Amino acid sequence: MAEERGTHDHDHDHDHDHDLTFQPNIEDSEAGRYELMTYAIRELLMEKGHLTPDELRAAQEKVESLQHSDGAKVIAKAWTDVDFKNRLLDDGNAALAEVGVDAGAAKMTVVENTDDVQNVVVCTLCSCYPRAVLGMPPDWYRSKSYRSRVVIEPRQVLSEFGTNVPDDMTVRVHDSLADLRYLVIPRRPEGTDGWSEDQLAAIVTRDTMVGVANPTAS
Amino acid sequence: MSGNFAPGDTVQVISTHPPGHRRTPYYIRGKTGEIERVCGDFANPEELAYGFDGLPKKTLYRVRFKQTHVWSDYAGPESDTVDVDIYEHWLLPA
Amino acid sequence: MADTDDPRRGYHDIGGKDYGAIDPDVTEMKPWERQSTAISNALGAAGRHIYVTDESRRAREQMGEPLYSDLDYYERSTESMKMILVEKGLFSEEELEARMSEIAGRMAEARK
Repeated sequence: MAEERGTHDHDHDHDHDHDLTFQPNIEDSEAGRYELMTYAIRELLMEKGHLTPDELRAAQEKVESLQHSDGAKVIAKAWTDVDFKNRLLDDGNAALAEVGVDAGAAKMTVVENTDDVQNVVVCTLCSCYPRAVLGMPPDWYRSKSYRSRVVIEPRQVLSEFGTNVPDDMTVRVHDSLADLRYLVIPRRPEGTDGWSEDQLAAIVTRDTMVGVANPTAS
Repeated sequence: MSGNFAPGDTVQVISTHPPGHRRTPYYIRGKTGEIERVCGDFANPEELAYGFDGLPKKTLYRVRFKQTHVWSDYAGPESDTVDVDIYEHWLLPA
Repeated sequence: MADTDDPRRGYHDIGGKDYGAIDPDVTEMKPWERQSTAISNALGAAGRHIYVTDESRRAREQMGEPLYSDLDYYERSTESMKMILVEKGLFSEEELEARMSEIAGRMAEARK
């Protein structure tokens, strides 16, 4: 796609009005309205001095680098080091910083799945998510279906993810609506005795840190 | 000035539906729960949303509600909870 | 679940409603979605401080139910960012639409 600003002839014909709902050549363009809007916002901001290419590049690299592997590494450490786990539960940001994970402005609140409690996280009002630790939220987390249903019928939603919680356990739904971001420490599965932290991290999926799934030793 | 609640206190979410940007969800308004923890003081998002500085900070609480209390037809056990982050100005002692 | 459709309830305030089956499919972010997110982050509290997340959430709640329902997540994010930037006077709707048209033209040229 051409991104240079070549010379542009401002006198080309238009056969439609320039009102606010003007869809610029949408039928011809392979880029949808919001893709075009993104490029237009980028160009206008740069021309007006509100954004530089370096700032954008750095921000883009940061978005690209976010993934759930930092979270998995933290869980693996929590499983093998009880004192670290307790520090994590007490002050998520500080404990994450110990292992080089910068949670940003969010106040990381860590909750632990136990034999008695299954935790599951949602943001019913939008899609707040611990992006710094888990990367960008998956489609289902952002969906109106998940946001609307998990808070009222968590057990049904969990079973749709293949996670069946017995009635003698408690399900806690965390609606993260403010400056807190939640990370779930899933239960360490059977059959992982003696595993290294790397081996353990490999079985910690993103879904287990949101609480809709539990890790297995496979 | 910090809020007035401590973990274990029973609180009720005020039942009001003001227009504008609010971070207290509709489903929890008017419900009664228990302070699970004091989360700290933060600039008020209801003000930040309109370009104000949101100061003075407000105390944020995590409030634990029984699901069987929140939803009239909740199908799960009595012990299930929904934990919601709520600002001090939405809470009254109960 | 009681759903009396209280007109005072924001269309985004959906905890307890039922929007149906959850699609488990996870899709990769498209490059433009990544760019839109990056621009937003660069302008935010950690970067230029032009606006904060709370303002873009508020814009999402103000864009109207038709747009909120029709657009997908990254489209809504881009729309809300645009609303805030227009609100703050960084550019106008007209400037933006004109630039979008121009870019569409350039892209069409490049494909010839």
